[in-house]
Amino acid sequence: MGRKWPVILIVLLSAAIIIAVIVTEHTSTLPGRRPPNPFAYDVDEFRSVDQELIRWRETRQVQLDREDIRAMAYAGGKIYLAAGNELQVIGSDWSRILRRNLPGEPTCLAAAREGWIVAGMGNHLAILDSDGETIAVSEVLGAESNITSVAILDDDIYAADATGRRVLIFNRELELTGELRGDSGVSDVHGFIVPGAHFSLAVNPEDELWITNPGIHALQNYTASGRLRSYIQRSSFGIDGFSGCCNPVHFTFLPDGRFVTSEKGIIRIKVIIGTGEVESVVAPPELFRDGTRAPAVAAGDNGNILALDFDRNMIRIFEPI
Amino acid sequence: MERKKTKSRREFINSSMRFGMILALGGIGGLAFRRTTGDQWVWQIDPFKCSWCGRCATHCVLNPSAVKCVHAYELCGYCDLCGGYLIPGHSDRSTAAENQLCPTAAIDRKFIEEPYYEYKIDEDLCIGCAKCADGCSSFGNGSLHLQIMHHLCVNCNECTIARVCPSDAITRVKGSDPYLMKGDFTKSTGFED
Ligand code: SF4
Ligand code: SF4
Ligand code: SF4
Repeated sequence: MGRKWPVILIVLLSAAIIIAVIVTEHTSTLPGRRPPNPFAYDVDEFRSVDQELIRWRETRQVQLDREDIRAMAYAGGKIYLAAGNELQVIGSDWSRILRRNLPGEPTCLAAAREGWIVAGMGNHLAILDSDGETIAVSEVLGAESNITSVAILDDDIYAADATGRRVLIFNRELELTGELRGDSGVSDVHGFIVPGAHFSLAVNPEDELWITNPGIHALQNYTASGRLRSYIQRSSFGIDGFSGCCNPVHFTFLPDGRFVTSEKGIIRIKVIIGTGEVESVVAPPELFRDGTRAPAVAAGDNGNILALDFDRNMIRIFEPI
Repeated sequence: MERKKTKSRREFINSSMRFGMILALGGIGGLAFRRTTGDQWVWQIDPFKCSWCGRCATHCVLNPSAVKCVHAYELCGYCDLCGGYLIPGHSDRSTAAENQLCPTAAIDRKFIEEPYYEYKIDEDLCIGCAKCADGCSSFGNGSLHLQIMHHLCVNCNECTIARVCPSDAITRVKGSDPYLMKGDFTKSTGFED
């Protein structure tokens, strides 16, 4: 027995050392104990926003009952949402007016003041009446098509196809009547450069069609015949422009015609005037979790801004200060 | 007309770079086979799980790390203001050293034609720090990402990076198909949010 003691001692000591090494290694990899990353990608300086520029205040958050909301539109005091194959309509008192299953899954929505709706369904479009009943369906635009944004202008419907890098024009029967490629006729101004699934368009209160050209950080205004009329182009990591491959991801117009833009990467919502200058910041990056999606944006008739926060499944309402 | 020319050139750029990448990986794969047989399991990074923590540079048993940056040409937006190439707050968009994000200047950016750039990673210089992958994923399409290079990796019984990876991104794959390149196994249309 006495001769076994040194062996037992060595075994116990080895076991203690092994346990200590395992525990130390485990605790050193716990989130709070990790050494700082010496190669950290630091964009903090661009996350902070001059407080003077923030001229909007978040006044309400409306929690949604679905986690798979993909699109939002606003018209005539109503909010239209698409989640999976469900269409939801929310009234001005925030009560749910309609909940209806659709034959497909909308990827984007636009609504007319009279209540009819256009739904982009990935590779085709559908027009729905105010009860969500399908009244027209377009042809399938090819398996590769990816409709990411739709807008209504008079009797025409414009659909941005991110994969095809084109804007398709349909009539009210959803017959294809034209296509915009973003050609300007000037050799150094490019057609649409769409590096990702972010290609957005909207109609302003003057009935002008604006389309993003995300590869060059531009918002471009086209005539109905597809001629480039004017544009805003600002590339910058700073608050004064857009960065990365796909910004602005979403945009809309306030009732007075100012742009509201929403960006990914450093997530932020800004108001921009016609010259391209930033007039104010609606929502600074600190209001969003890093690495999440750029919120979809819409503007209410009262000039409030609605931001669809995909991360927190809520509509966040911002009012001017 | 101009656009068509641009597009076809871009396609040409994409396909030729892709061909180059396949040749490179093919050569690398050939070398890797000297170390691993097709049936053997090897370590690889799932680029969709990686959170660019920097440990691939500091925790590999090799110095410099067997982890290197690769570029999925088909996914790249060829952004003028590239978050993976340019340091935030750069003074201009030139290739001057002070504008480059990569701490070892391992990324070679070459202007092809407005607005496209070609990227090449110098494997000898890359230390696998993931800084470019973080910048590219934050602002772009995530086309720059990390892979364990099997002509370098010694296929440790337990990968020391896997032990500390906070995202559980390092996984076992078949030696006969040892890369998890984005684009090759992209999850949807090739576009990321
Ligand atoms: S350790 Fe994991 S999370 Fe960190 S860089 Fe490597 S693969 Fe990515
Ligand atoms: S930033 Fe890091 S991972 Fe990217 S190329 Fe340079 S050394 Fe490699
Ligand atoms: S298996 Fe070994 S050599 Fe290969 S990446 Fe992991 S630690 Fe480095």
